[in-house]
Amino acid sequence: MKVEPAARGEADPRSRASAQGVALGYEPPADLGESRVWISIGGSHRAAGLSDSQRKKLVSAVLEVRPESNTRLVLLGVEVDGLRSEGRASLRDRVAFLPVDGGLLSNLNAWENIVLPLGFHHPERLGEVAAAVNSLLRGLGADPHVLLEKLPERMSLYEKKLTGYVRIVLERPELLLAEETQRGLDSAERAAASRFPAAYLENCPGGTFVHLEVALER
Amino acid sequence: MIGVYREFEGCMRLAGYVLSRLPVLARPPVAEALTRQIYFTGASATVGMVLRGAFIGTLIIAYVIDVLEANAALAVKILIWVVLREIGPLIAAVLVIQRSGTAVVTELALMQISGEVTSLRQMRIDPRDYLVVPRVVAFALSTAALTFYVQVIAVGGGMLLSSLTIDASLGELTGEFFALASPVDLVYAVIKSFFFGAAIALVCCYHGLHPPGTSINAVPKAAINAVTQSTLLVMLLNVVFAYLVFGQAFFGLVTAKL
Repeated sequence: MKVEPAARGEADPRSRASAQGVALGYEPPADLGESRVWISIGGSHRAAGLSDSQRKKLVSAVLEVRPESNTRLVLLGVEVDGLRSEGRASLRDRVAFLPVDGGLLSNLNAWENIVLPLGFHHPERLGEVAAAVNSLLRGLGADPHVLLEKLPERMSLYEKKLTGYVRIVLERPELLLAEETQRGLDSAERAAASRFPAAYLENCPGGTFVHLEVALER
Repeated sequence: MIGVYREFEGCMRLAGYVLSRLPVLARPPVAEALTRQIYFTGASATVGMVLRGAFIGTLIIAYVIDVLEANAALAVKILIWVVLREIGPLIAAVLVIQRSGTAVVTELALMQISGEVTSLRQMRIDPRDYLVVPRVVAFALSTAALTFYVQVIAVGGGMLLSSLTIDASLGELTGEFFALASPVDLVYAVIKSFFFGAAIALVCCYHGLHPPGTSINAVPKAAINAVTQSTLLVMLLNVVFAYLVFGQAFFGLVTAKL
């Protein structure tokens, strides 16, 4: 099992590692035998070899900005432990998660799915996103006129991932956790999905893109 | 019994949350969800409602004339008491439960089970803001509007039929109606319907967001719980309103003097 770019094996890393410059730091208790994730701010990174349960715990801890007991969590250079609720909420606004199936709502078409969080959190920006959406979709191999009208039930897995991805990029999070972006795709779609990190970093300069990859269980 | 208490408490908490979060309706996606729900619950149900209203009105008046050998004044009085105050709001509530309530509880339970509610949380959207607040407001407004339609159609249809079957002209019946009917009757029924709609939506949304399991089998169970409890709650609210406003309930069997 490996986790990149961090190495594991230190007896008590929390006494040494500083939170400064860390986009995502996740240190479960040593006795659990789980991997430690330690990723610096900026660029595209890969967290591979996580077990499915650890991946769920990591995602849940990040999205709730609340790790399990005895687990250390650092987000965007901030030590989460001890933060008040306002601090957690503020940190949460800077983080996004792209699930393997895009996390779409089935009764909304692609366009409505894309603008849902933006319309909810930043309605003042709704007027300016159409061009950005078209540009992102074209750059990642999709025809906006066809895709934006589709309901999720009519979309391929890649289109679902792409729709979820565009939705997130529009919100410009500083840390994006993307789950298994390549899983279930054919070779052409995998090639298109491999451009997700670059497109994200182009739209969110200084951001951190993290691939979460689950180890195959035998 | 504890389960029923928890569900009641959950619905009350949800009602409190909805009241405190009404400003969220100004946000574009929520406003769109509100419009869509009003269309499905109110506008697209109008034809069915009109037909039911007309049937009920003519049926009541036909029975009144046949059984009581009523004159124009009695026929109109019964129309006002039965249709305007009681049957109109109840018919609208039953239609909303059977048509939109079941749809909402099923939709939300499926969203919960399929992980779409979790997706909303991942977007930093409280599911109650996006799914519950617009539905409660839409149900309340739609039920009030549907009640008004039922009243107009049922009373109009009833008076039309009466004019054909008893020795009274339509003009005479209309005159009796305006002499006997009070604005309180209409306002009372519409306000009552508003609360019926809100109560139905709260119960259906609560059960939709809390299905009794994580498999697809939980969806019909949630629907049954929602329909049963919202029907009971509407009946209970009806009694409470009758008692508070007119000092009596169950057509006078329970009065404020007791």
